[in-house]
Amino acid sequence: MNRREWIIFLALAASPAPSVKGNVTANVVGAANAFLATLSPAEQAKCTFGFTSSQRTGWSNLPTGIFKRNGLRFGDLKPPQREAALKLVAAALSREGYQKVTDIMNGDEVLKNAGGGRTGGRPSQGIRFGLDEYYIALLGTPSASTPWMIQFGGHHLAINVTIAGASSVMTPSLPAAQPAKYILNGQTVRPLGRENDKGFALINALNAAQLKKAVLNYEVKDLVLGPGNDGKVIQPEGILASELDASQQAMLLDIAHEWVGILNDEAANAKMAEIKANLPQTYFAWSGATKNGGLAYYRIQGPTLIIEYAPQSGDVDHIHTIYRDPTNDYGAKLVTK
Amino acid sequence: MKTLFAAVCLWLAMVFPAAAHRLDEYLQATRLAIDIARVDVEIDLTPGVSVASKVFGWIDTNRDGEISRAEGEAYAHAMLRSAVLKADGSTMPLKFEECSFPTFQEMSAGVGTIRLRARAAISAAAPGRHQISFLNMHRPEWSVYLVNVLVPENHRLQFGEQRRDVAQHGLILDYTVTGDGPEDRTLALYLGLGMAGCLLLRLGISRREKAKQPV
Repeated sequence: MNRREWIIFLALAASPAPSVKGNVTANVVGAANAFLATLSPAEQAKCTFGFTSSQRTGWSNLPTGIFKRNGLRFGDLKPPQREAALKLVAAALSREGYQKVTDIMNGDEVLKNAGGGRTGGRPSQGIRFGLDEYYIALLGTPSASTPWMIQFGGHHLAINVTIAGASSVMTPSLPAAQPAKYILNGQTVRPLGRENDKGFALINALNAAQLKKAVLNYEVKDLVLGPGNDGKVIQPEGILASELDASQQAMLLDIAHEWVGILNDEAANAKMAEIKANLPQTYFAWSGATKNGGLAYYRIQGPTLIIEYAPQSGDVDHIHTIYRDPTNDYGAKLVTK
Repeated sequence: MKTLFAAVCLWLAMVFPAAAHRLDEYLQATRLAIDIARVDVEIDLTPGVSVASKVFGWIDTNRDGEISRAEGEAYAHAMLRSAVLKADGSTMPLKFEECSFPTFQEMSAGVGTIRLRARAAISAAAPGRHQISFLNMHRPEWSVYLVNVLVPENHRLQFGEQRRDVAQHGLILDYTVTGDGPEDRTLALYLGLGMAGCLLLRLGISRREKAKQPV
């Protein structure tokens, strides 16, 4: 499959039908077994890990050559295998979430083709990224009752979905984008455009007193709780959601949904209900420009939620984000039930 | 056609510069875990692509292309000497605990992180208001900083306002220690012993009075 076919394939493949309540896990298990059935025994062995293995925390947003991913590399899969793998990812995610993942992956291919990301022009260092460099791994045995996990990612993307019975969680995950805006098939694509625009919309909806609390008086130039910081919770800052009016609270929830809603609708709705219940203890903090297009960092932090949005190295065209639940990363609560 | 292709490639290269990762900055991210009698300090240092050689050179002092344990620890100690931690205004020495270093390849790609861990013993904080401050002035010419405190695991600590400078070289945290400290436990012990003594005394008196009563 050539590059163009790959991108079109990603755009078209695996568009999931809206899930019937309660059927999500069955659909995902079915898609996982269908994917495994396309693999040889050797490929299956390479793709599967124990649920509690160290592979669980072995994810990164970094490119191949810098970070060694385990699992099956997309570039090594045959077209039917890739299609089955993407159908599995799509089954676990919402329609919008799968589109976001697709946009991030296509962006990475665009970056590769543009010669970017070679860290100062040193391709000989073996740093690789783009569509072929995404990996998929399964931890545990796909099951409708016992916990298991789908790990999917590559450069600028790490999706960790833990499934336990009818529940699923997607924390921790790292959706990122470089370029943050590109043109594909005549269409402008902004993989994290809504995250950007909704953040700026909220900060501009605050009054002077609220801004004083929400805007940090210092620069934040990167993620505070990026990869490798599992289990850490920083002291929250910013304005409490209880000090926002109803419309502003709705805007805050809408921002959070951009991350939460990557996961399938059933699980995302449950998570949003939890976030809404915790809203009085949830903080919104902002650092940087308040005019859309400027360089700005923001963080949403509640008892069961940490979201960070951080432009990298002063570049609005290179965004990293992180989505965590300090109480339920890797489905910790589901597994101990 | 070839000319058009070359022009498109040139345009793309201009639009998307080679910048997948940090470039000319040395990211220094610090997290402070504060407890009653100690502060654990985690410092992650990530040099950008264009400063990686320089940073590697600071550490690899014998220029053999690798960071030995001795070289790594020497750099870690030097870094810690650039940082100041104060508890209630008094400087507390940062004791080196451990460190790990990436390869030159990782560093030169702008993604290699030096992980440094240290600890400062502080006087067991009595109930009341206290303050911790941290200042990192290591290599300020190229650096960007993050500094945060972790949510306390000890329920007796209640964190108040955090203050930072714009560049996050430093942080000042006001916090309160609530009761159940060592002093409170001693007081509770004395009170308990006193009450037990009173009870025993009262019991003894009542027995004596009963014994005096006529049968």
